[in-house]
Amino acid sequence: MHEMSVALEVLSIVEQHVGTESLGTVSKVGLEVGDEAGVVLESLEFCLGVLLAAAPFDSATADVERVDGDTLRVTYLEVEDGRT
Amino acid sequence: MAVRRIEVRERVMAKNDELAAAVRGRLARHSVTAFNLVSSPGSGKTLLLERTLEALGDTLRIAVVTGDVQTQNDADRLARRTGRLVQAVVTDGACHLDARQITAALDGIDLADTDLLFIENVGNLVCPASWDLGENAKIVVFSATEGEDKPLKYPKMFRESRYAVLNKMDLLPHLQFDVDQAVSMARQVQPDIEFFYTSALTGEGMAEWCAFLRRASLASSE
Repeated sequence: MHEMSVALEVLSIVEQHVGTESLGTVSKVGLEVGDEAGVVLESLEFCLGVLLAAAPFDSATADVERVDGDTLRVTYLEVEDGRT
Repeated sequence: MAVRRIEVRERVMAKNDELAAAVRGRLARHSVTAFNLVSSPGSGKTLLLERTLEALGDTLRIAVVTGDVQTQNDADRLARRTGRLVQAVVTDGACHLDARQITAALDGIDLADTDLLFIENVGNLVCPASWDLGENAKIVVFSATEGEDKPLKYPKMFRESRYAVLNKMDLLPHLQFDVDQAVSMARQVQPDIEFFYTSALTGEGMAEWCAFLRRASLASSE
């Protein structure tokens, strides 16, 4: 039921990285979600899908991996900014 | 254009947990014991708190923060039982309280003049389990009119709770509710959970509940 809150928190983590590390366009956000994290995977993916499709991300996608335990974290970002 | 990958490994709840830790520190500095009351809607949290304020309000300085999706009704009810300020958080749709809201609510409470803080969370057995509010313990309230298998249906909430209050005990003669089974199901998910059996309406079990609160409050101030 609180997947939108979680998705918004994910976005704020991503935005913070984009801001402090001057990243370019984020194309993918990787997450790990534990089976005891109290999060419905499909619902979180839906919320992230809506948020990542809108500005400032436009066409980013979420890569959600189900893991054991109560882990709930952003694992990686894929960015396209010409840097390597 | 080349895609590069940046490792992040950042916990989604990190910001909330950081704020909760700050709340915990603030409460500890003032020797305030804080309990986060969680339950489904209608378990009797507000009446339990009303009776608790009546019973202990003269000897303990009790502060309350209530959370509801809409209305300040609970806060208004509780305010009639205490001369102290009851802080109402209207979440406006959100299904739980978070540490940010508690941080703001505490600004309106004189912690130096407080022994015990109750946070009456939004009635919901799912989401509030995931948010640490900086409390000493979560207390799950459930009532005899609910099923015995609530602990198995909502295991995260019971796992996160150190104490359980089984309320509406006065209705047992009219119900097919097996208390032993409910307790054993709760212990299946949280072996250390400690139970209180109350009827906030008739006062049954309130002496034990209040004695526990007095002890908990004293333990913090030592």
